Amino acid sequence: MESNAEVQVPLAVRLRFGRAALQVVADEIGADVLHIKGDAADPSLRPGEPSGTDVDILVRPAHVAMLDRAIRVRGWRVYSTFVYGSPFGHAQTYLHDAWGYLDLHRWFPGIRVPPDVAFERLWANRQMADFAGIEGRVPGLAAQATLLVLNAARGARSGADLALSWTEASAEHRIEVERLVDDLDAHVAFAAATGDLELYREERDYRLWKVLSEGGTRSEEWWARVRSAPSIGEAVRIAARAPLVNVEHLAIKLGRAPTRWEVVAAFFARPLRAAVEAADWLRAPRHRRRRTR
Amino acid sequence: MNAVVLRVATGLAQLDRDGVVYVASLPGGPITVLEGTAASIWVQASGHGRAEVVEGLAEELGLEISEIEGDVEAFIDTLLERGLLVEERPDPRSV
Repeated sequence: MESNAEVQVPLAVRLRFGRAALQVVADEIGADVLHIKGDAADPSLRPGEPSGTDVDILVRPAHVAMLDRAIRVRGWRVYSTFVYGSPFGHAQTYLHDAWGYLDLHRWFPGIRVPPDVAFERLWANRQMADFAGIEGRVPGLAAQATLLVLNAARGARSGADLALSWTEASAEHRIEVERLVDDLDAHVAFAAATGDLELYREERDYRLWKVLSEGGTRSEEWWARVRSAPSIGEAVRIAARAPLVNVEHLAIKLGRAPTRWEVVAAFFARPLRAAVEAADWLRAPRHRRRRTR
Repeated sequence: MNAVVLRVATGLAQLDRDGVVYVASLPGGPITVLEGTAASIWVQASGHGRAEVVEGLAEELGLEISEIEGDVEAFIDTLLERGLLVEERPDPRSV
């Protein structure tokens, strides 16, 4: 008999099973989860076969802590935390020996209404989806399209997502998406993806989406994040986080846990990098500076 | 007396891609890959007794039952040991 255990499993299959496994755990503990992006997206919204390398889920904010605890005891290890794993602090990455990477989102970048309000809005129009025989939930079609466009604003994918989700979509579909963008207060990020960002020059997060969609130095991005914070408290938290060394990324780069001295060396290297970037910016022609500020 | 039949274990995920069957217990795994005759046995197993699976495969392959019986039985035992299949007696009320 040709039974070959644990050999040559295509990544697409592994990820599909990863969604099923995650859903089983979520169902066990009663956590509300929406599967997003990648192979969870409706085929009408994605060009060809899904090309993702991980599983993305959006979790009801009130259920994040219990799901985190549940998956940790079932084989998922934290790969990078909310604090260090994503510049927005929106997602935490896990790694499972059988299922690969999982990105657990507690909110979605570009959406400005509170995370619990946003989740409830998306949850209200959820649809059922089959993941290797296990039933899971995905956002409605318009919501899927909206999330793909918001994701494209960060330059995360090619223009194909934008075309299928927005530019080449039907008038009815676009009206639904626009309504959702209104409900989620996601106009600025959405405009960054669709090329209308200049309409939002006065918005606090305009500079952030300018840098994210068009590129910029690390310092420019950091300042844009501070400026885009919805409150002074949040701005202070972002500013306070900036000088910290990302120990998780350092460990991944080194392939082992960094020593105390390596962390100290990285700490002092960061301000130096920022200083070099600042010097580069000062030397740049005025018109280029204005473009990215 | 009802015959014992094979069933896919509960909590199992499975996918069929181009004739290759991938199955895994959830949420821990691992993934088991079933190709060729292994995939055929898997597809025929659910809801059938061992003898029916052997007969079906012999017919599919154009072989005598006696030629494959031992291997098929051994493979079914492996699937049972891994918890991918279970044997059960159908509920007479549902027949």
